[in-house]
Amino acid sequence: MAEKLGVYICEGCDIGKSLNVDELVDYAKKSKLANITPVVKKCPVLCSPEGKAEIEADIAASGLDGVVLCACSPRVKWDIFQFGGVQVERVNLREHCVWSFEDDPKLPGQLPLIAKDYVRMGMMRLSKSRVPAPELPETHQTIMVLGGGFTGLNAALEAAKLGRDVVIVERSGALGGKAATMYKSFPLSAPFNKAEDTGITGLIEAVNANPKIKVLLNAELKSLHGAPGLYTATVNDQPLEIGAVVLATGWVPGDKSFLAPMGYGSIKNVVTASEFEAMVKQGEIKRPSDGKAPASVAILTDVRLCTKTVEEAPEAACAEGEAVAAPAAEAAPAEAEVNPYPDKESAKHLAYSSEITSLVALKHAGYVREKLPNALAYVLYDHMMVPGINERYYKAAQDEAGIMLSKATITGVKADADGGVIISAKDTLLGPDVEIKADLVVLPTAVVPTTAHEPTMNFEYRQGPGFPDLEVFDGFADSNYVCFPYETRRTGVYAAGCVRQPMTMATAREDAAGAVLKAVQCISSANRGVAVHPRSGDLSYPVFNFQRCTQCKRCTEECPFGALDDDEKGTPKPNPTRCRRCGTCMGACPERVISFDTYNVDQIGSTIKEVYVPDDMVAGGPRVIVLCCENDAYPALDMAAFRGKKWSPFVRFVPVRCLGSVNAIWVADAISKGVDGVILLGCKYGLDYQCHFVKGSELCSRRKVNIAESLGRLGVEAERVEQYEVSIDEYDKVPEIIDRFMSEVITKFGPNPFKGY
Amino acid sequence: MSNTVRVQPDLKFVQELQQVGGESLKKCYQCATCSVACPLSPADAPYPRKEMVWAQWGLKDRLLNDVDIWLCHNCGACSDLCPRGAKPGDLLAALRNMAYRNLAKPSCIGTWMSSAKYLPILVLIPAILYAFIWSAQAAKLGSAFPLFVANGHEWAVDPQGSVVFGGLFPGDLFIDPIFGAVFLFMLFCFAGGISRLLKSFEGMPRTFIVGRGPEPSFGSCLIDTLKNEVAQHSRFRNCGEEEKDVQRVTGHLFLFYAFIALMVVTGVVAFGHWFGAWFLERVMGIEGGFAGLIAWAGHTPMPLWSPVKLLANAGAVALVYGLTKLTSRRTSLDAAKSTSNWYDWYLLTVIWGIALTGLGSEVFRLMNQPVIAYPVYYLHLICVFMLLAYLPWSKLGHLVYRTVALAYARKIGRLPMGELK
Repeated sequence: MAEKLGVYICEGCDIGKSLNVDELVDYAKKSKLANITPVVKKCPVLCSPEGKAEIEADIAASGLDGVVLCACSPRVKWDIFQFGGVQVERVNLREHCVWSFEDDPKLPGQLPLIAKDYVRMGMMRLSKSRVPAPELPETHQTIMVLGGGFTGLNAALEAAKLGRDVVIVERSGALGGKAATMYKSFPLSAPFNKAEDTGITGLIEAVNANPKIKVLLNAELKSLHGAPGLYTATVNDQPLEIGAVVLATGWVPGDKSFLAPMGYGSIKNVVTASEFEAMVKQGEIKRPSDGKAPASVAILTDVRLCTKTVEEAPEAACAEGEAVAAPAAEAAPAEAEVNPYPDKESAKHLAYSSEITSLVALKHAGYVREKLPNALAYVLYDHMMVPGINERYYKAAQDEAGIMLSKATITGVKADADGGVIISAKDTLLGPDVEIKADLVVLPTAVVPTTAHEPTMNFEYRQGPGFPDLEVFDGFADSNYVCFPYETRRTGVYAAGCVRQPMTMATAREDAAGAVLKAVQCISSANRGVAVHPRSGDLSYPVFNFQRCTQCKRCTEECPFGALDDDEKGTPKPNPTRCRRCGTCMGACPERVISFDTYNVDQIGSTIKEVYVPDDMVAGGPRVIVLCCENDAYPALDMAAFRGKKWSPFVRFVPVRCLGSVNAIWVADAISKGVDGVILLGCKYGLDYQCHFVKGSELCSRRKVNIAESLGRLGVEAERVEQYEVSIDEYDKVPEIIDRFMSEVITKFGPNPFKGY
Repeated sequence: MSNTVRVQPDLKFVQELQQVGGESLKKCYQCATCSVACPLSPADAPYPRKEMVWAQWGLKDRLLNDVDIWLCHNCGACSDLCPRGAKPGDLLAALRNMAYRNLAKPSCIGTWMSSAKYLPILVLIPAILYAFIWSAQAAKLGSAFPLFVANGHEWAVDPQGSVVFGGLFPGDLFIDPIFGAVFLFMLFCFAGGISRLLKSFEGMPRTFIVGRGPEPSFGSCLIDTLKNEVAQHSRFRNCGEEEKDVQRVTGHLFLFYAFIALMVVTGVVAFGHWFGAWFLERVMGIEGGFAGLIAWAGHTPMPLWSPVKLLANAGAVALVYGLTKLTSRRTSLDAAKSTSNWYDWYLLTVIWGIALTGLGSEVFRLMNQPVIAYPVYYLHLICVFMLLAYLPWSKLGHLVYRTVALAYARKIGRLPMGELK
């Protein structure tokens, strides 16, 4: 607990112009926390060197252990307002109070009241916060790279370059992976206009020669136990101490039976891209039917004939999937204890691989021209997806006279009597309905991540052996974060390469480096007891009061990151290094046994109680509490204020780590105190969610239903508690949301019936 | 399935097109900026976008039977705006060059006309012919650079006389029969070319124009084409809006009417000489009066004040002016946008040759400088021969082929968007 507070009120940025700062200083001096607040001051410009020096002097002179800085948003100048171990609470007088203030015509002059509320709230919030003292674990430093293909080898070399010990776990008997089976790769270097050697031999040699890298061949990860920095990986039967993992298990060629609608299997001279690649790697392009060199090769990338069923009826496909899964789940306990890993491959993977398919088509057309100078290569595509620098590769292929390209919708592929293959297409650049005859047809190979077929990681986690959310990504171990590509939903495991997304080798190389940097960051964060992502550097961690725990398992089930294991009885077992400090467990706990030193149920509850609620709504105006997500909603509010947007003077903002951390008691307490409405302002949820903690806003929306029911029982309108979704750039919508709530809810329902009790 | 077309790509044809001026054709990625930019492209299946992809796939049949290549007047707007530098304007020019080369028979002349390396053959044919005449006449007259005085209807060698081209190269014996034959040969070859051209268009789709009534006859379309597109350059004027395009139309108009003027002069001379002097005066024995006037009008060399001579000189000046405009435009073309090919330069050079040697002949004749005047006249004969004899295979073939194609396009309703009312 902060026990000696200093309160500083800045006069800069319109604050001094709009508010009677002296009055505010007096007010803070007389507040109920006055006894623990020896210093209350105003300052012309708090962020100036003089302002900062004054605070530092007071800390030294009066032994302050916490400072409440009533100035601008905590999102700015945070680098200036740091005072060693002294806790800092920022009261956002500038954005939330002065800049966004709009006088109410019926009740003018609310501004001083708003400022006083926020000052009180800030002081209370800080007084309930203490400096966390995490236990610092002895961490393992070794990085395990799962998969010895192109991505894995690059990752291992990057990690070794950073001075880390590396273990490569490769399931097969040799390094090299898919790259070793390829004749050439798409361009890997300037001028990015021709296929190149993959360089895999050189990579293998470099890895074998590197003393920091240990290579385990014919090795399989049987289980991964523990937490980041403290993992025990069981490889074959050998236990390994591991700090973090780079997942680079890559891909497997998709199921060829999905290509049947395009003649694969029934027509001899129709092959897949991976078969064609193997053919060229062996040295010659030959027709399977007669072993002769083809005079023309058609490369088809339009796979809509194959994906029609999954694309036309995604709903039906899902429903079917569930229907199939359900009986299986029922049957499972009867047959065996083993829960079969649901396979996630479908024809959709053909569509997901479209960028690679486009590039492979160009590469294979190049092979045809290289190996058979008199042969023609036709590329029939529905789209040519060559983003970025690969546009140059496309241009180069286009310039080659013997490579003929056209957009086309393939309508049929059939065998001709002489062994040729006739392709029918519509909507081509050459006319609405055309036929083209080729000696050999090459169909795309889908990139299917290894994680679509098996859990791969074999986590010994309460939430299961694989990654959650793979249904959403159809098996790809992709990140849950738009801006953070390597984050899986398991802290400590960073995915790179084609297991994450279908990608080129040039991209996979960068991916490997990025994932390694995350792995290194993870281990060194675990070392220091701080969070890795997205609250990088956060020292706080969830503390459990086990005496009051009822083993309801809500926290262990709802943790979006599988941080909590439990024992047979259901008592949660925290793993601080897996934790991302979102507070979802704290929001879930009905007994309120989970807290953070700097963020807890009592603290936020008390802060809300500091909001002055007039007994008479007509005379004093209504009051609405906005619990806003500090990741996206709070910045949106700042931006709105910065751009001169105004809103009702009767709302008070309380930042929360994530809507997932909102405990129902806060809302209940607010309503019982007479607050007229509560807005939960958080991220978008659903398929294209934007929540930094994946499930927070979604969980909140579910909990809100329960809250509404409880309110109903108390005779309070359920509409008084509403959740809204905003993304970080929707600053223009925030004032609308607030004003709509004020008019539609507060004006409509009138004062909270609990007011005045 | 009756509409399904089998595509038969032809790599050789692609490479051939690249060689004759379409070397950038593979760069096209079908954005259609060209077809949107083109002021003359029809609304339905507009060119040159479709020609670009046909060319990339080497679809020979479609390209060789395409009337659209003649609808293009090559302002270069498409090539200027092409984001990939694919130069669609150059491709259409290349396709027209291919047509010049292949439409008329004998095809060996087409081959000779297609590349600079055959130029010596083309020059040597008239050069040897006229050198032979010159040397035979020199032996007969006793001098390679004789001077003449008039002697009745004949020219007599006289060292005090003056330069007379008709004395050294008698028109009745050499000039008129040779050029007459060349002219007939050219017409005959054109006839074959036109019939092949019209036959190739048979597969072109008809455009139905609402309110147009039955399809007009080819003859009426031809008359409309001559009235509008040819005489007034109506399409050509709409082809491009920039300064350089205006310059091109002006230059072309001057050149066109200069040729008309010179054609009239040639016609008057031929008519006066063969009808007036030979038929009326000599054969019928009519002297003086109207017959005398006709004979006089065609008599060369003419006095400088003769209206026919004035017309000839005006034509020559217009020719040089037009040529200057066209040449300066062509030399200032941005090579990154569009390029000039052998066909362009051949035609410009030959016409420059005709203009300069023609004027030179006149000037040196008036200065009475036989040693310069006769060789210049000799060169003039070679240039005129090269223009006339090879016309169906040269870029000037557009005079006939484009006229026919435009008339045909009118007939089937393939009109620029702006002309559909």
